[in-house]
Amino acid sequence: MRPENYQARSQPPSNEFELNFGPNHPGIEGNYAFRVKLNGDEVLEARADAGYLHRGFEKLMEGRLWIQNIALVPRICVPDPVPMEVCYSLAIEEIGGLDVPERAQWIRVMQLEMSRLAAHLFAFGGHAATTGMYTPMFWGVADRDLILDRFEELTGGRVYSIYNIPGGVRRDVPDGFLERLSSLLDYLESRLPDYDNLFFTNQVFITRARDVGTMTQEQALSWGVTGPNLRATGLAFDVRRDDPYLVYDQIDFDIATEPGGDALSRNLVRRSELKQSIRILRQVIERLPSIKGPIRCPIPNPLAWNVPAGESYTRVESSKGELAYYVVSTGGDKPYRVHVRGPSSMHAVQVLEKLAVGSRLEDIAQIMFSLDACPPEVDR
Amino acid sequence: MHRSGIFPARGITETAQETVYRIMSKELNIWLDDLLSDIESVQFKRKSSRRVRVDVGSEALPALLELLQGRASYVHLSAISCVDWIEEDEFELVYHVWSYETQSLVSAHTRIPREPGVYLSIYDLYQPAAFFERDIHEMFGVFFEGSPDMEKFILTEWNGPPPMRKEFDSEAFVNQTFSWEPYHPQWLKELEEEGGGITTRPEDVRR
Repeated sequence: MRPENYQARSQPPSNEFELNFGPNHPGIEGNYAFRVKLNGDEVLEARADAGYLHRGFEKLMEGRLWIQNIALVPRICVPDPVPMEVCYSLAIEEIGGLDVPERAQWIRVMQLEMSRLAAHLFAFGGHAATTGMYTPMFWGVADRDLILDRFEELTGGRVYSIYNIPGGVRRDVPDGFLERLSSLLDYLESRLPDYDNLFFTNQVFITRARDVGTMTQEQALSWGVTGPNLRATGLAFDVRRDDPYLVYDQIDFDIATEPGGDALSRNLVRRSELKQSIRILRQVIERLPSIKGPIRCPIPNPLAWNVPAGESYTRVESSKGELAYYVVSTGGDKPYRVHVRGPSSMHAVQVLEKLAVGSRLEDIAQIMFSLDACPPEVDR
Repeated sequence: MHRSGIFPARGITETAQETVYRIMSKELNIWLDDLLSDIESVQFKRKSSRRVRVDVGSEALPALLELLQGRASYVHLSAISCVDWIEEDEFELVYHVWSYETQSLVSAHTRIPREPGVYLSIYDLYQPAAFFERDIHEMFGVFFEGSPDMEKFILTEWNGPPPMRKEFDSEAFVNQTFSWEPYHPQWLKELEEEGGGITTRPEDVRR
């Protein structure tokens, strides 16, 4: 039965319709939504709709001690939490003028690369699932779990390690850890050909991902694209090499690039980065035993620590791109302002909106996963 | 192009915008040094080999960014950060721009009055600005003229004041808006009978 005030609206015939894509959808990373306008299955317009994961981190951090925020920041991005801790700690160290001991810097590099490996395994597994291949996802998640085991041994936490502290790291590496990490790397390296056969050289994946979500290098630069997505357009830029932090300038690694700029290239860049991260970790395992010394520099009582007034903009290369923290101190025991610049604030919003237009509905999920967009970085 | 004939001698009646244009006319390799010298509205500080801090008046900032992008290859807008200096009644806007060629990051700081909190968009220069300006508008209430999209994004169902402003007290807001429910479950009672319980410092007890 129709309500009393019902009036049929006459509209000109149209093939266009609107579709709400998300916030709970297997083709969306996290809770994130899209309003897409479609003609058939061709996307005419896409609007990102964020905010489902907003937890007000930046405001919360202003009300907590410097040291308490260490437990808060990794929660901003679940798949790749370590760069958040390290970047925040680097900012405080710069403001406070702390010298991080060399051993702690190497341990941090080890942690960062382990986290990158774990995040990339997650990312390509997720991408495979969007094209209907679930096995790579199971394999990726299972192998990521082995890395999480090493995180648990090193830090006590599987996902959120809260292991960094301004001035260094909390504990030294346990006995025998490097050997176990080394054998894990052997295992992961032996898995790479399997991933290739299963996914990266799979014709189903190649046919689906080629020429999907393509951007040129010029577009990528003007849209603020960073990280593997930028390298997939052929530009060899990596914060680790070009704006080095920690001890990355002493480490030998290549920057993987691909010329295509499409979803296929972005995944192939991640595939190459898996190899490079293993290479970096092997160098860390080789060098770390010879570097003696403390794992953190002395800091004041962290519960009554007034970090001197100043400001710092620190950047690190997370698995998703350029991650930056802008931290302002007025000399108090809490930060005056912390601004988190997550790489996905570009990739998940403007870039995705632009790349989705003209693509097909079933490719939106693929484009999002190929960009490795992390919605909590947008919402913060 | 030599501009000294157009503008009067520096430091006397030159406006900030003219200062920037005068520097623009110089060669790329000396413009940083030129900025170093005592210019009224542009203060330059090299923090490290890859970090440069520039303090610039709000009227000259778009021109400075245009110079940085067009003449010095700072093509990547890394972020726009907003800081609320409530005691000085000002917002500080910080534009972080990165050059892939010179591999250095310039942070251009400028201050605008808190009221009315309106500034110019730099979307024409840097497309990523659209996101940051929308975010700052939502969180601090600064309006950017010329920005393509000032709609709500993250706080879609929020009708309160911009929450990142310093005068917005989250806890006070929660106390006003919601009422506290007494929470004293059975397991806690049992724990208290054994002499345990939740420890709260006297000053933290909510009344």
